[in-house]
Amino acid sequence: MFGFSKRWDPHLKHCFATGGSSGAGLAFAKLLAQNGAYVFIVSRDQAKLNKALEELEAARQNSQQVFRAYSFSVNTEAGSAAAIKAASKPFDGRCPDAFSLCAGASRPGFFVEQTEESLRTGMEQTYYAQAFTALVSPMRHRKPWSSKASRLKGKIVFCSSTLGYFSMVGHSTYSPEKFAIRGLAETLQSEFMLYGIEVHVAFPGTIYSPGYEEENRVKPKVTLKIEETDEGATPEVVAKIILDGVRSGKFHITVDFIGNVFRSSTAGSTERNSYALDWVHGLIGYIALPIWRNSVDSTVLKHREEHEVYLRERGLLS
Amino acid sequence: MPSIWTSLASLALIPALFLVATRILSFKTRWDPCLKHCFVTGGSSGAGLALATLLAQNGAHVSIVARDKAKLQKALEVLETVRHNPQQIFRAYSFAVNTEQGSVAAIGAASEPFDGHCPDAYFLCAGASRPGFFVEQTEESLKAGMESTYYAQAFSALAATKAMVQQGVKGKVVFCSSILGYFSMVGYSTYSPGKFALRGLAETLQSEFMLYGIDVHIAFPGTIYSPGYEEENRCKPKITLKIEETDDGAQPEVVAKVILDGVRSGKFHISVDFIGHVFRTSTAGSSERNSYLLDWVHAVVGYIGLPTWRKMWVDNLVVKHRDEHEGYLRERGLCSVE
Repeated sequence: MFGFSKRWDPHLKHCFATGGSSGAGLAFAKLLAQNGAYVFIVSRDQAKLNKALEELEAARQNSQQVFRAYSFSVNTEAGSAAAIKAASKPFDGRCPDAFSLCAGASRPGFFVEQTEESLRTGMEQTYYAQAFTALVSPMRHRKPWSSKASRLKGKIVFCSSTLGYFSMVGHSTYSPEKFAIRGLAETLQSEFMLYGIEVHVAFPGTIYSPGYEEENRVKPKVTLKIEETDEGATPEVVAKIILDGVRSGKFHITVDFIGNVFRSSTAGSTERNSYALDWVHGLIGYIALPIWRNSVDSTVLKHREEHEVYLRERGLLS
Repeated sequence: MPSIWTSLASLALIPALFLVATRILSFKTRWDPCLKHCFVTGGSSGAGLALATLLAQNGAHVSIVARDKAKLQKALEVLETVRHNPQQIFRAYSFAVNTEQGSVAAIGAASEPFDGHCPDAYFLCAGASRPGFFVEQTEESLKAGMESTYYAQAFSALAATKAMVQQGVKGKVVFCSSILGYFSMVGYSTYSPGKFALRGLAETLQSEFMLYGIDVHIAFPGTIYSPGYEEENRCKPKITLKIEETDDGAQPEVVAKVILDGVRSGKFHISVDFIGHVFRTSTAGSSERNSYLLDWVHAVVGYIGLPTWRKMWVDNLVVKHRDEHEGYLRERGLCSVE
């Protein structure tokens, strides 16, 4: 509570951002650039990467900054290692100071229509894409923290989702992965105390990005119905809150009131941001979340008959 | 004239009373395993076998699935010793359930003695733990961890869902997560993510299966004194062992009993001991609660106790372990000399 930890400053830090060519990943990369960081973005689409690089240049603060864009697939250890190696080259092989892992995609649907392939693809795109980059970040080979106060502390920022705090109909290929990211972040937040590397994990809700439009094209009607009252946020707003959270050393970073309520209601033994304020959010959650949940369940139950027709049309009922 | 605080308190009380009332007044019929067909993965040892045995004692038909044929044979003999009535059918099947194909084949085989009717209840206990430092993991070991924690149950759930939906069976799916699905710490990067993922899946399906009348349950046991636990401790980092040295575990039979009681009384999250209840209530969020009032008590204990335990015990021990860990890394050539 009284730990006045110095705010982390991205200025002239070497920042590596996956999923950095669009959506919140790009917004975050631009914000880092605006704050004077060296920024390396990674994703698959070379065309998007080129455009993104132009946007980073537009945000340049000083002539020292280095911006690069690399096309790699980070959902394998080898791909992640190659991407980090490329990003370390301009610095004589010295690895990045901060890793922002925004790679991930959502393809909602009913569980009954999934296959082994679709479940595995969800895990690849959403969990492994972040886990393997964290795995090969050479930060893990750094000499553990010593009494030298001048040592730069490394940072890893995972991107989960409010769907890493709760779930509901339609998200069986996404929620498990977002919960898994939380599980990994919880492990590493503890384990990286051995190395002086700080772990952060963001839990944004709906982000109005190209990814969101893709997602809604396949989302089940009943899920869309339940979510129709949700408010989202633009990538820029989300990126700002995440950066603020990283700068002030927050472990879990939530982006809006609902996020705060979920965060404090599911914290368990997780390091809290504000012990007192969390109590208020937690109390609100204790009363309001079950009521909200009842209405979600009610919407699902009302959907039964329509769903039965849906299943018959697809030959999933005998 | 009521003060603003009284008004606010009453405002809070109304929904609270509403929820208490709905809980008290919903007399959920206790589920009875008698003559239900129960399908148990990981059923040849540990908690899985204990559950299978308990189900058999309660009169169920039991199909156990695992890989090791010898263990399966021995397990079948154990089931026979607790036979409740001559109608019961006990079978053991050797299948790898961490693929959809394997799970479909296992359920297909189990359905044969029942004229193709699929099982009524699926107890998915398959899983294993291989702790270690993250710094020593590889793509292969992280994937193997996800296979043995998440996929080992997810594909069985997938196959079970398709069968139950197609046949109109209003059955049950029971996942086995772990208290390491509620929190994590040093050494569990190959285990916790998968156990958290199981919770994510269970949360989705508990909602989605309201479309089919299928119940979802998920258990969060702590340490279980089983052969699996001994295996796990052989490779567990010293620091993790040290942090856990004050933990109490439970016998598989005790855990199985609590899980079955939870399934019978319709609990969604099933925690096995006091610590489990504290974690469950402190991480519930919007998850369906078992007891709105009792959960409050556990949650208050958690709000005070858990951060204290975390900072003073867990984090403190990890930080003290730094020097020893540096030596460990050097021995293995994992520390770059700077």
